[in-house]
Amino acid sequence: MRRFGACCARGLACASTSVAVAAVVLASSAMGQALSAQSRPLGNPTAPLIARALDHENGGRYDLARDAWLEVLRAGGAIPAVLGLERVYTMTGDEDLLLPLLDSLVPLTPTDPQLRGAQLRVLVITGRDAAADSAFRQWRDLRPREVAPYRDYARILLYNARPQSADSVLAEAATALGGTRELLLEVAQLRAALGRWGEAAVAWRETMRDQAYYEAGAVFSLSQAPPESRDAVREGLRAAQPPMGAYQTLSQLELGWGAPLAGWQVIKDLPVSDTVVYVWGQFSEEAERAQAWSAARDALVAIHAARRSRGLQDRAVAERGANAALKANDPETALRLARAARGPNEAPKAELIGIELEALARLGRAAEAEQVLADAAPQLGGQARGFARSIAWAWIRAGDVLRARAVLADGPLDADDAVSGWLALYDGDLVTARRALRYGDVAATDAVAALSLLSRTRAERSPTVGAAFLALARQDSTAAVAALLRAAEELSDAAPLLVTMAARVEMARRADVRAIPLWTRVATGYAQSPEAAEARLEWGRALKRRGDARGAREQFETMIIEYPGSALVPQARRELDALPPTRADECAE
Amino acid sequence: MCRVSQTSRRWPAALRGIASVATALLLSASALRAQHLLVPMDDAQSNHLKAYGLTFGALTDGVRSEWLLNFRGGSFLLPDIPALRRAALLSGVTAEPIDDARLTDIRRQIADGNMDAVPLDKAPRIAVYTPPQSMPWDDAVTLALTYAGIPYTNIFDDEVLSTDLSQFDWIHLHHEDFTGQQHKLYLGFRDAPWFQQARDRDLQMARKHNLPDVPTLKKTVADRLRGFVDRGGFLFAMCGATETIELAIAAFNVDIAGGSTDGTPMDADADAKMDWDRTFATENARLEFGAGVNAMSDIDGHQVNVPSRRQPLGTFTLFGFSAKFDPVATMLVQNHRNVLRDYYGVTTSFTRRTLKPGVTVLAHEEGAPWVKYIHGGYGRGSFTYLGGHDPEDPQHAIGAPPTDLALHPNSPGYRLILNNVLFPAARKRPLKT
Repeated sequence: MRRFGACCARGLACASTSVAVAAVVLASSAMGQALSAQSRPLGNPTAPLIARALDHENGGRYDLARDAWLEVLRAGGAIPAVLGLERVYTMTGDEDLLLPLLDSLVPLTPTDPQLRGAQLRVLVITGRDAAADSAFRQWRDLRPREVAPYRDYARILLYNARPQSADSVLAEAATALGGTRELLLEVAQLRAALGRWGEAAVAWRETMRDQAYYEAGAVFSLSQAPPESRDAVREGLRAAQPPMGAYQTLSQLELGWGAPLAGWQVIKDLPVSDTVVYVWGQFSEEAERAQAWSAARDALVAIHAARRSRGLQDRAVAERGANAALKANDPETALRLARAARGPNEAPKAELIGIELEALARLGRAAEAEQVLADAAPQLGGQARGFARSIAWAWIRAGDVLRARAVLADGPLDADDAVSGWLALYDGDLVTARRALRYGDVAATDAVAALSLLSRTRAERSPTVGAAFLALARQDSTAAVAALLRAAEELSDAAPLLVTMAARVEMARRADVRAIPLWTRVATGYAQSPEAAEARLEWGRALKRRGDARGAREQFETMIIEYPGSALVPQARRELDALPPTRADECAE
Repeated sequence: MCRVSQTSRRWPAALRGIASVATALLLSASALRAQHLLVPMDDAQSNHLKAYGLTFGALTDGVRSEWLLNFRGGSFLLPDIPALRRAALLSGVTAEPIDDARLTDIRRQIADGNMDAVPLDKAPRIAVYTPPQSMPWDDAVTLALTYAGIPYTNIFDDEVLSTDLSQFDWIHLHHEDFTGQQHKLYLGFRDAPWFQQARDRDLQMARKHNLPDVPTLKKTVADRLRGFVDRGGFLFAMCGATETIELAIAAFNVDIAGGSTDGTPMDADADAKMDWDRTFATENARLEFGAGVNAMSDIDGHQVNVPSRRQPLGTFTLFGFSAKFDPVATMLVQNHRNVLRDYYGVTTSFTRRTLKPGVTVLAHEEGAPWVKYIHGGYGRGSFTYLGGHDPEDPQHAIGAPPTDLALHPNSPGYRLILNNVLFPAARKRPLKT
C-alpha cells in the first residue's frame, strides 16, 4: 500500500509509465519470441538499444532510460529489459511498476531464474510478503530438487534484513534437498546476520572447503562479530580440520580485530607449501598496511626462511622484513634480514645500508656501524655522509657522547634534528632539546618520557636531567633513578613527572619496595598532578603484589573516587574486582 | 555455618555506616531538601549488573529502596547518601541525583503508564546449591552474584539435609542432576577425574545419611527443596537443575536412574508411575529410557546433547506484564532488551506440552514449541526456572573457561538472574483490583 500511495502522489508521470508498461504487456504475442531470444548473444538487434539504455541509466536520465529499456523489451530483449527497468525503478522508487510486466513474463518461462529472481526481489522490496512467498513456492514446486529457488529467495530476504524469514527458507531447503550443502554461503551469511557468530563461522568454514575464494567474503561477514562472540568464531573456523581458507580468514580477522600477532599465530605453524607461503605473503601485506610491524616481521621472516630452505633467495622479502623489524623495534632481526637482502656481487643499496646502520645504532654497536659504513663508502659515494647521523646515534646509544660529537664534527646536523636534540638533552640544554625533539623521528624507548618532561618544565638548562637520560640510554637504571630524583628537587614544575619516571624504572626492575615510596610521594605530595591517578593505581598494584589486599583496595578506591575522569578508572575497577575479600568483609556471623 | 562466598561481602564494607548516615539524614530531614539517586536501568546505565549489587548493598545496610518497574528499564530509586554515591562511583554504576520535583514528575509518569514503584524492604538471604569442589563448568548465578558483589552462602547436599533451610529466603540451583545420574555424563566423561571425584563424593554423602545410593540421595535433597518452597521459600533454577528437580520430585518413589548409576535398570513402567501432582512446573513428561541417549526427558525442547534431536538456537522474547496488577512477573522480566539471544544448557528450554496450566511463561521463542523462562507459585512459596547454562556463552562446553562478566556489564541475560535475586526483597502488597 505504501508503494501505491507513493506512486499516486507522483501523478501523471506515474500514470503514463503504467500505461506504457501495460501497453508492452498487452503485446503478449511478442513475448514468447522475446524470451526465446534471450539466449542470443548481444550481437543482435537489441544490442544498440541496450547500449543506449545503459547510457541513459549511467547518466542518471532515468525517464529516458525507462523508455529505452521498454524499447529493448519491444525489440525482444525481455530479460535485459526487466533487469534494466528494475534498476531504473529502484532509483525512482517505482519498483511496483515492474510487477505487471513480471506477471505477464513469468508464466511464459516460469522456471527462468532471472525472471523469478527479479519477481522475488520486487515483491520483497515492495513489502508484498505473501505474494513473494507464493511466487517462491510456485518456483520451488516447478523445480523441487533444485537449489536455485531456495538460494535466490533466501539471499533476497537476507539482503532486505529479513534474516528470520531467510532462516525458514533455508530450513525448508535442508528438508527438501536433504541438507544445505549447496547453500552454505547463504547459511553463513544468515547466521552472521542473526548474530549467531559461531554457527556463521562454521558455515563459512564449510563454504571455503570447496570454494576457497570466499575468504574475503568470510572476513567481511565475520569481522562484525562483537568481542564477546569472537571466541565462538575462532572455535568455528578452527574446528574439524579446517581448509586453508578458514585459517586465512581467521588470521585476517585477528588482524582486523587489533590482534595482529594472534593473527599470525593462526597461520604460522601450517606445514610449509606454496599455498601457505602465499597465505603468509597475503598476511604480511595486510599487516604492513595496518602498520602491524611485529606481525609483518614474523610473517616475512617465515617467508624468507621457507624460500631459503628451498635454495631460493628473495631479497625483496628480506628487505621488507628488515624494514618491518626495524619499525617493530627489533634491531637484531632487522640487521640479520638487511644483511640477507644484500646481493653478493652488487653495490649495496643505500636503503639497506640505512636499515643496517639504524639497527646497529639501536643496538649500540657503534664501532661495527662505523665499519659497515666505511666498507660501503666506495659504493655509496656522496651518500655516505648522510649516514653520519646514524653513526652518531649509535655512539649515543652506546653512551659515548664525545664520540657522537666527533662523528658530527665534519658536518653538524640541522639544529632541528632529533640526534642534535638528544645530544642537547644529555648536555642539559633543554631549550635545544625541546626544539629538536619536537618531531622526534629517532626511535627510543625513553623518547616519550623525554618529550613529556620537556613539555612540562619551563627550565632552560638542567645537567641533572641530562645525566638521568644518559643513564637511561646506557641502561644504568640505578644511576637513572638517582639522577631523576635529584632532578625532581631541582625542577619543581616537573617534579611529579620525574618522580613518576623514577618509580617506573624501579617497577621495571621489579623493585616494589623502592617503587612504593615513590608512588606514595607522587600520590600524596602531588595529588593534583597529572601523574597522581597513575601513582595511586600503581601504588595499589604494588601493594597487591606484596599481599596487602586491604592497602591495595584503599588505593584503588581512592583512585576511583578522587580521579573519576581518569582513563585509568576502568583498570582500577578491574583491580578492585579481582581483589580477595578483606577480613572484615568475610563471614559476619 | 560460615561458607560465605569470597568477594560477595564487598558491598557491606563499602556501605558500612550507611544506616547511621541515613538515620542522621532522616533526623535532619526537616532542615534538608530531600534528594534521591535514580539508578537508571536503560541504555544510560554503564553497569547494569553492579546496579543490582548497589541496591542489594543498600538493602543489606537497612536503606530502603524502590524498584521502579518498567520505568527506564526497571530503575532503582535510592536515597542520596554519600556512601551510596561513593559505592556507585567505585563500581561504575550510573546514578543520577534527582530532587523532589523530578521525583514527583517520575511518580506521575509511573501512575499514568504501565509502571509501578515497588518498595524494597530488606535484602534476601541467599543460598546457592553448589558442590564444594569446583566443577569444569561455570555457574551463571554465582558469577552474577560475585560480580555484582551480592553475598551468598554455599550449600550442598549435607547442608540441605542437615540444616534449617528457612534461614534462607532464596535458594539457587544450577547444574545439578537431581535424578542422581550426573546428567548421563558417564557417556563421555566416565574416566575424567572430576567425574569420578563427584561420583565418589556423592556416594560418601549417601552413606553418611544412610541412603542406599546416589539417586535416592539426590531425590531426598530435591524433596527437601520442594518442602522449602512449599513453606514459603523462593527457588530459582537454571540449566539441568530445572528439569531434573521436576523429575526427581515426580519420581520420588520410582526408579528412573539407569543401571550405571544405581546398578538396577529404570523401572520399565516409570512413565506411568510418575507423581506429577508433587512437581512445581511440569507434568506428563516422557522419560528418556535410552541409556546411551544423553537426555533426561522431553521437558527440554532443545536436546543439545543428542545430535539427532538438537534444535538450533534462536532468540527469545520477554513478555510484558501489567506492572500494577502482576508486579512479580513484571519484576522478573525487567530489562533493557526485550529480545535476547538464546543459549544452550543441558536443559535449554521447557516444552509447552509439559508445562502445568498455572505456570506463568515469562519468555518464549516465537513459533517454537518451547519456552525459556517460567515462574509459578507452589504452596506458600514460588519458583522460577530459566533454561540454559550461561547467557553470555551460548555454546558453553565442559572445560570452557568461565565467563568474565567484566566484559559483559550490560548483559540482559544476566539481568534476568539478578531480577530473581531482588524480587524477594519486594514488600508484599495487596493486589489492586
